[in-house]
Amino acid sequence: MSNILFIEPNTLLAQAYTKGLRRDGHIVNHVLGAQTGIHAADTQSPDLVILELELPGHNGVEFLHEFRSYMEWQEVPAILLTNLPPGRVGEPGDLAMQDLGIKAVLYKPKTTLQKLLRTVREQLALS
Amino acid sequence: MAGLGDSTGKAEMNDLLLSVAEQLKVPLITIARQAELGQVTGSVDISEIVAIQTQADAALTLVDSYLLGLELLREQTSLALEPVSVSSTLVDTAHDLYRYARQYGIKLELDVAGKYAPVMAHPHGLQSALLSLGYALVEAQAVQEDGDRTLLLAAHRTSHGVVAGVYGNYPDVHAEQWHKALELCGRARQPFAALSSGSGAGLFVADAILQAMSTRLRVGRHLKQVGLSTTLQASRQLQFV
Repeated sequence: MSNILFIEPNTLLAQAYTKGLRRDGHIVNHVLGAQTGIHAADTQSPDLVILELELPGHNGVEFLHEFRSYMEWQEVPAILLTNLPPGRVGEPGDLAMQDLGIKAVLYKPKTTLQKLLRTVREQLALS
Repeated sequence: MAGLGDSTGKAEMNDLLLSVAEQLKVPLITIARQAELGQVTGSVDISEIVAIQTQADAALTLVDSYLLGLELLREQTSLALEPVSVSSTLVDTAHDLYRYARQYGIKLELDVAGKYAPVMAHPHGLQSALLSLGYALVEAQAVQEDGDRTLLLAAHRTSHGVVAGVYGNYPDVHAEQWHKALELCGRARQPFAALSSGSGAGLFVADAILQAMSTRLRVGRHLKQVGLSTTLQASRQLQFV
């Protein structure tokens, strides 16, 4: 059983993903934005982070910079689940992505629940 | 907004269309994932059906409002404005918005106390603009991290006319940001980041409809709340009735 921090600004969309992840045996802590994401990480100690880049206020990249500045969260894998089209986001192998600990990038319109669950399992197995 | 016939007007409508298309992804993804969840689990809760329904309604409202805005801008020179009750329009908007707001855990409040003279507007246009604005602000209020879950639909009188708007707890929203957002509509992914994590298309669609009625959407205040509102001219003819 793994702790997942899920940062998604749309509550209804988050409900569908959260139900699927919980059904797969994970403990999911859903928050709406970057600021509450940091607070949630502090209390939850996540094993994995799933986040949207486009957030109200501070964006996903700003969240990851802040998140990675804490020693205990530097190795926690992050999955981008985003509305940004593939051409607008780099690849997980890119240097900037590596620095932020981004292990996978999923484009929301093309990502089924099953694909998300598979990616989560893979990343948890690797970490 | 420039006329639809000239190149500036067409470019603005194209920007608005891009914004609408981007915004539509959100309800469609939600519907797709909810349906997939139902398929995987083999059962669907009534709450999931309601979520699918409200997302479909939101998408339809956005498309419908966009098309109405386009239509009204085309007819702008001959647009028939008629006396409309702002209070009734706000009450109807609140009614139409209720289920969507509840889905996001947002409480709606109405402040239409006081007698307001009828205003000159396109009835369907005004209702659509306020509804489009309402949908966008429900989503905006739902991501506020301060826990405030109330949205206020209100009217008040000024020396310029009757102001109708939708307000919430948005302390960081200023007129300058809104003006910049109007320029960035369709060109930036988050043109109004202080309010919307997405394209915020509903706000720009509402503004386009109001422009066809020779008014605009502006950042305004009602009591201590901040939001977007429009000033409507009172119908002089009916003021004397």
